Amino acid sequence: MENISPTLVLENVTKSFGDFKAVSDLSITVGPGRVFGLIGPNGAGKTTTIRMIVNIIAPDSGRIELFGKSMTTALQDRIGYLPEERGLYRKMKIGEQLKFFAELKDVDNQKSDELIDRWLLKFQLSDWKEKRSKELSKGMQQKVQFIAAVIHDPDLLILDEPFSGLDPVNVELMKQIILEQKSTGKTIILSTHQMEIAEDLCDDICMIDKSQKVLDGRLREIKRSFGRNAVALRYDGGDGVIDDPHLVATVKETNDEIEVLLAPGTSAQTLLHRLVDSGANVSKFELVEPSLHDIFIEKVRENG
Amino acid sequence: MKKFLAVVKREYVQRVRTKFFVVATVLGPVMMVLFTVAPAFMAGIKAGGPTRVAVVDQSGKLYQRFEEALLNSRDEETERDQQGAAAAQVNSNQQERMKQAGKLGEANFDVEQIEVGNNSLDQIKAQLNERVRKGQLDAYVIIPENILSDGKAEFYGRNTGDIFTRETVKSRLSSAVRDERLAAEHIAQNVVKEINRRVELTSTRVSERGEEKDSGSGFYMVFGFGFLIYLSVLLYGQVVLGAVIEEKETRIAEILFSSMRSFPLMMGKLIGVSLVALTQLTIWVLTFVAFSLFGVGMLAARGVPINLPHIPPIMFAYFGLYFLLGYFIYATVYALIGSMVTTTQEGGQLAMPVVLMLVAGFYFAFPIIRSPNSSMAFWASMFPFFAPITMLVRIVTETPPLWQIALSLAIGFTTVVFLIWLASRIYRVGMLMTGKKASIPEVWRWVRQA
Repeated sequence: MENISPTLVLENVTKSFGDFKAVSDLSITVGPGRVFGLIGPNGAGKTTTIRMIVNIIAPDSGRIELFGKSMTTALQDRIGYLPEERGLYRKMKIGEQLKFFAELKDVDNQKSDELIDRWLLKFQLSDWKEKRSKELSKGMQQKVQFIAAVIHDPDLLILDEPFSGLDPVNVELMKQIILEQKSTGKTIILSTHQMEIAEDLCDDICMIDKSQKVLDGRLREIKRSFGRNAVALRYDGGDGVIDDPHLVATVKETNDEIEVLLAPGTSAQTLLHRLVDSGANVSKFELVEPSLHDIFIEKVRENG
Repeated sequence: MKKFLAVVKREYVQRVRTKFFVVATVLGPVMMVLFTVAPAFMAGIKAGGPTRVAVVDQSGKLYQRFEEALLNSRDEETERDQQGAAAAQVNSNQQERMKQAGKLGEANFDVEQIEVGNNSLDQIKAQLNERVRKGQLDAYVIIPENILSDGKAEFYGRNTGDIFTRETVKSRLSSAVRDERLAAEHIAQNVVKEINRRVELTSTRVSERGEEKDSGSGFYMVFGFGFLIYLSVLLYGQVVLGAVIEEKETRIAEILFSSMRSFPLMMGKLIGVSLVALTQLTIWVLTFVAFSLFGVGMLAARGVPINLPHIPPIMFAYFGLYFLLGYFIYATVYALIGSMVTTTQEGGQLAMPVVLMLVAGFYFAFPIIRSPNSSMAFWASMFPFFAPITMLVRIVTETPPLWQIALSLAIGFTTVVFLIWLASRIYRVGMLMTGKKASIPEVWRWVRQA
């Protein structure tokens, strides 16, 4: 990866609004063709970071480089952006809106007609082309907004919470299309709260909290570095063992099994011994990698 | 540039295609006729029969003349002194028309003399009051004995709020008294008429082009144009405001900002909406011109003499340019306000005080007419918010040197561009600060921050 020039580089980027520091000293590198997850709690500074990348606001200090160049208006056309705060012109026909957005991204007139039809077909929205957007359901509108972000075939696609408000069927459709976009060589920055989805899609992760980066790297490596201190369990009896705070840090119960995060200094062996000693009938005991969800919560807690 | 045009096109096409635009374009002139002609027409209608007036003439000399005056509406110019210089300068057709309108408004009367006989004044009044209360009489007038020296009389009526009747009675009685006084001095009626005849003043403008007949019509055109600017700002200012707020309300702004800078966006919106405005106004003006030409043609064919005001073509160019300036400078104020607020209602309230500056421009018109080359006239015609009115007044009264006209236009249109630039900055930062209303210090910070 070091040999290939990165798509996007942020170097010591800082942005304040008055006294409020939204992003402080953030450095990230996004490699070409990768899905990069930008995660973090509400108000961490994700949206401000994205807005600086798409050139809506300028950083107070630091450097942003896209495709090896400093940001310009012309480079904006190579980005596709689906903001978290998004809408459509309520009284405008879907086909016309998409054409307008394509024009704003400098897409050739004839080409855009063809592209619009192709994308509407892909999202099963062809019948809605002549409808006004106020007649569409929220999920449909969101798909139209997604089309507006990709219509000009951008090299970098930035999606801020693309799954919010979608039903499971459409979440799957959206995931599939994001992966399809990735397979054509696009770089994708994905900002989301939905950790399961981030885990499914992202190659790299950057986590920010309170305006600062708390974690970044390849998702695989991050999970590995968090060690094998999570255990998936299924057992009967042995009451009270997992409630011991010296043994177990957190407990997550799903419908038929329990996932625990071991307390620092406790090994999985110790837990197993204690369970067996207490007379529990253990039917499953498996060391698992911590989920991104667990890592997220732990990091946010650590950061106080 | 292509993106700017895309914005212009969207704003224009989306608006012109609406049913609202079509309906407004058709109904606009109809409404205008209703609002201008209808009130004049309504004022001319007097419901019910003639006004019944009883007259108690204690002097015993005036009844004859007063009755005559009330019954035959007398067309004496002397009684219309108050209408003053402005009316006199209107060309003769117009003056004729005003007299016609005046006549329509005049009440007609049924006059009845009450003999005093041996009754005391109080008794007579009691009787008359009773009749007024019963509705047999509308009003009565008491002419005291010494009216010729005192010049005082009394008017009693059920509806003293009817100022038209009261004024008519007053002026007719005055003329009766005056005639009586003159008769007392043995001056004949026709001599009086001769003495009172007014002077006719023909005004001729001396300019670089030599002598030109000037009926003052240019001056009225300025007021007409001022009104047109005011009207279009009121009509379309709200539309500009709505267009600027639209992306905030629909939350599209962020998508737009990720594709283009805010200045061409703001400019595109202003131009797009303004083209809609100009389209509509052009349709209206052409309709108006077509109808008036048709009307003039009809009248001319029937042998009614009409002298159309003579206006040199360059005037039309000036009027056009200053109309555009006036429209744009105020429309831009709406755009600026739209960039600060989140709802149209809020914006409309904020814009009103600024639009009143246009009215202030009219106040400057009067001193400028009197001395069009004073330094006050100069500065008032350079200030972009007044220039559309004040400079036009100067042009029609005593055309200033070309450089002054060019300078005021340059200042004006530069201000428009500057305000749009300011609006675009405020808009961009304000939009990102979530949807709360901004205070002035905050707005100032945004301008510097963006």
